[in-house]
Amino acid sequence: MTASRALARRLTSSILAPAASLLVVLLGWEVLVDTSHLPSYVFPSPMLVLGEMVDNAGLLLSELAVTIAAATAGFLIALVLAVTAGALIAASRMLDRALTPWLVVAHAVPKVVIAPLFLVWFGFGLKSEIFFVVTFTFFPTVVNTVAGLRSADPDLVELVRSMGANQWQVLRKIRFPAALPSIFSGIKISITLAPVGAVIGEFVASNRGLGHLLIQSVGDMETPLAFAAVTVFSIFGIAVWKFAEWLERRALPWHASERERRRTLEQAAA
Amino acid sequence: MSYGSPHDATASLSGVTSPGAASQDTAPDGDAAPGIALLAAAKSFGHGPDAVHALTPVSLSLPPGEAVSVVGPSGCGKSTLLRMMAGLEPPTEGSVRDGGSPVTKPLADVGIVFQRDLLLDWRSVLDNVLLPAEIKGLERTAARTRALDLLQRLGVASFADRYPWELSGGMRQRAAIARALLPRPSFLLLDEPFSALDALMRDQMNVLLQEVQLAEGVGALLITHSIPEAVFLGDRVIVMSGRPGRILDEIRVDFPRPRHLALREEEAFSRIVRRIRVQFEQAGVLVG
Repeated sequence: MTASRALARRLTSSILAPAASLLVVLLGWEVLVDTSHLPSYVFPSPMLVLGEMVDNAGLLLSELAVTIAAATAGFLIALVLAVTAGALIAASRMLDRALTPWLVVAHAVPKVVIAPLFLVWFGFGLKSEIFFVVTFTFFPTVVNTVAGLRSADPDLVELVRSMGANQWQVLRKIRFPAALPSIFSGIKISITLAPVGAVIGEFVASNRGLGHLLIQSVGDMETPLAFAAVTVFSIFGIAVWKFAEWLERRALPWHASERERRRTLEQAAA
Repeated sequence: MSYGSPHDATASLSGVTSPGAASQDTAPDGDAAPGIALLAAAKSFGHGPDAVHALTPVSLSLPPGEAVSVVGPSGCGKSTLLRMMAGLEPPTEGSVRDGGSPVTKPLADVGIVFQRDLLLDWRSVLDNVLLPAEIKGLERTAARTRALDLLQRLGVASFADRYPWELSGGMRQRAAIARALLPRPSFLLLDEPFSALDALMRDQMNVLLQEVQLAEGVGALLITHSIPEAVFLGDRVIVMSGRPGRILDEIRVDFPRPRHLALREEEAFSRIVRRIRVQFEQAGVLVG
């Protein structure tokens, strides 16, 4: 197969197929709304939503920025806390027994239900919102960090011990890098939960952000704007996921999943 | 004793001297004897009636510069023997000495090559070789130069920036040997390093290993279950029985260095191989 034909095939499968599927859905939606004469405050057509997005681009982007800020801050705080807690739990059986039950209990409490309490504890505004993101994103990372740190090949640990490594060196040179793929699995779950946490926080405890805009526009029967906010939020969610994948590839160029991807690329190029 | 010493120059043509002559090296005589020694070291796992005896009391010395091969069937405690000499595992009886002093922790002056290459997936070949330098806190620039030189001599320099998964088994094991040699240890302990390789690659690795061993003047303990490999690489071959492991025979191999693969077809070489095979047959390890 020639290179240009291979490229054409990749283009077809990776871009044209999803684009065609999207187009069909949007067209179907447009036709359905037009033929059923549903009022736009019940179910707006895609064209109307698109127009709303263009008209309110400034507003949507500034609200998105607030949501991104809260999601990022919360996610980063949770990441540091989760990796530290994970390292402690993996290092000590006693800490494991003392802390893990609390983690499970905390995770079992439905966070949406206790959201109003955050309002009581942290007040109205960004602090509540960030705390909300932390509670959403902490658990997946901590669980995966513990699992990853425990999964290091004992022979590798013995290898560096034979070189005279101390506990800290074993953690830094072996256990932590070996845990990275697992930590990244946690991060990929956490990072997509972060915007969700931020939006729910904004529903309850903020007068800024996409979540607030959504609640407000629904309340005002401005359904097309609500749809526009949801669309922006979805695009943001996809971007966050793509970012996490990119980060993973950059950080773990040696990982098995990356080998597979590179092999496929090489085959396509050959 | 080192390669190219007068001892080798006067080696008898037969390639064999009596075990009596060799036993001088293994006798646990002076406490201050240089090198690593097992003194009646035994190992069992578990306690009471359930205890598994891996190794009956074994005395064995590894003097500086000498290449000692240990050959025996699987499960004869060869690996345990190596791990005890490296200070990775204490013996349940007897003791391990390094230059006369008791060994209680992993020895700093040895490089170990395991059956699995144990390269770290997340590091390039070069960074894998540099791992002991990082752990021991050696000077970076000098360590890097040394690492590249070792990779060059072992024929993997062109893979220095590749990840281990991009290398074949033989190439990976070469990198593992370079890593073990990086901090210039006095001893190289090799635990069946080539058993996962195909026969041709294994022969090639035998020649390469001898080459770097000679150049580095490093003492070596090679654990293997291949009789020809043990004889080809060893100045002395320790023949071990099946579990629980005990020493059946000890043979001095005096062929001059460097040895070439063609040596294996010579009568004197075959005689030693035959002698070991007969030992195994008598011990019930092999049925001829």
